[in-house]
Amino acid sequence: MPYNVKIPQFEGPLDQLLTLAQQGHVDLREIPLARIAEAYLAGTEHHVDLEEATEVLWMLAAMIEMKSRLLVPKPDIPAEPLPLEEPSDLEARLEEKLQEYRAFKEVASALRALEDYQHRIFARPPGDDPNAVFLEGVTLDDLFRAFQQVLERAREEVGEITAEEVKVAERMEAILTLLAQHPQGVVFADLFAAAATKLQVIVTFLALLELIKNRRVRAQQPQTFAPIRVALAAP
Amino acid sequence: MTIPNGLVPHGDDLNLDELKRAAESILLVSGGPVTVDQLVEALGVAPQTVHALLWELQQDYAGRGIQIQVVAGGFHLCTRPELASYVQRFLRLDHREPLSQAALETLAIVAYRQPITRAEIEAVRGVRSDHIIERLLERHLIRDVGRKQALGRPILYATTEGFLRYFGLKDLADLPVLEGTDPRGALGGMTPTPHASPAEGSEAV
Repeated sequence: MPYNVKIPQFEGPLDQLLTLAQQGHVDLREIPLARIAEAYLAGTEHHVDLEEATEVLWMLAAMIEMKSRLLVPKPDIPAEPLPLEEPSDLEARLEEKLQEYRAFKEVASALRALEDYQHRIFARPPGDDPNAVFLEGVTLDDLFRAFQQVLERAREEVGEITAEEVKVAERMEAILTLLAQHPQGVVFADLFAAAATKLQVIVTFLALLELIKNRRVRAQQPQTFAPIRVALAAP
Repeated sequence: MTIPNGLVPHGDDLNLDELKRAAESILLVSGGPVTVDQLVEALGVAPQTVHALLWELQQDYAGRGIQIQVVAGGFHLCTRPELASYVQRFLRLDHREPLSQAALETLAIVAYRQPITRAEIEAVRGVRSDHIIERLLERHLIRDVGRKQALGRPILYATTEGFLRYFGLKDLADLPVLEGTDPRGALGGMTPTPHASPAEGSEAV
């Protein structure tokens, strides 16, 4: 579902704004991209659709790039393709685009005819040689002996699997318990006990990521480089 | 291996006939198109002899149930379209699912403009095409051939050998002619340049 923009200069899907900007129908210098970004971020407080967020991020980034190109003064290089950009050419370009699309549509119907023809002819599927020899010079006894050897080797090499000392699920529980005791939340570093081993730190971090992903915990950073605070998510 | 130059390697019509039948048997056992090079090696004759043999073989097939198709750079032994209903009944195949119109158009754009990015495809079609591109990738009709040296390093797509086979095309030059702008000019004109200007990235934002 496309994200809808609502600013005085434009109202409609964000991808449409991007397309219009790319085609030169909208002057990005008049579009407050920061406001679009803020509005979107405000919306994500309640609900985040990761796919949509990626899309919006990508489109906004593309527009920021285009806008910054518009804002930065152009170096005085003898302009080559500039005449193309004259507004009088806009109609011609649109016509050209349409022509291009029509040409592809025509070609598509030619391809359709080819597809139809190909769908009515058949060939041998690859790699179905009925005489293919998989086991040459191998008897059933050989197979049985080989299998016994494998079994014996397996008996010799019984390994020991050490118990997992730190479990993500346990750490998740621990974090939830800790946060339940601190309704105001705790500083990120407090989640990691001072004497924690490397494994504990890693597993705790994984547990935290899991909890954030499951929306049971939220992490906030008031400003860049400020300590991150972790708290229980509002139910 | 030395390859005799003459059309008839041993100056012997009987031998030529045997070579023709040998070529036929190779086409039969191969699961896919057989290239001229493969036949040159297997038969031990010159490429022009291979072409002559296959041409004759194709003539022999007139009025028969099979034919030789030149597809994806090789020769493919296959059935004739007018017999499809019998073959389908034998194989218990109902019908083959054709591509959707949108998929076909998208595929056409990739075929004539490859290598091409998703955004470039969408610029022509005017609509989002990510889902269709995904389906075409799944069906191995297009593939990912690298990344364009542009903002975001978008993936470049091109058609596959399976694409040629799907449409029974010899190669990309065998595509139907595109009206208006010369499609061949576009082909290869947009190959990614590995040494794009470094300013491209630093200029952004």
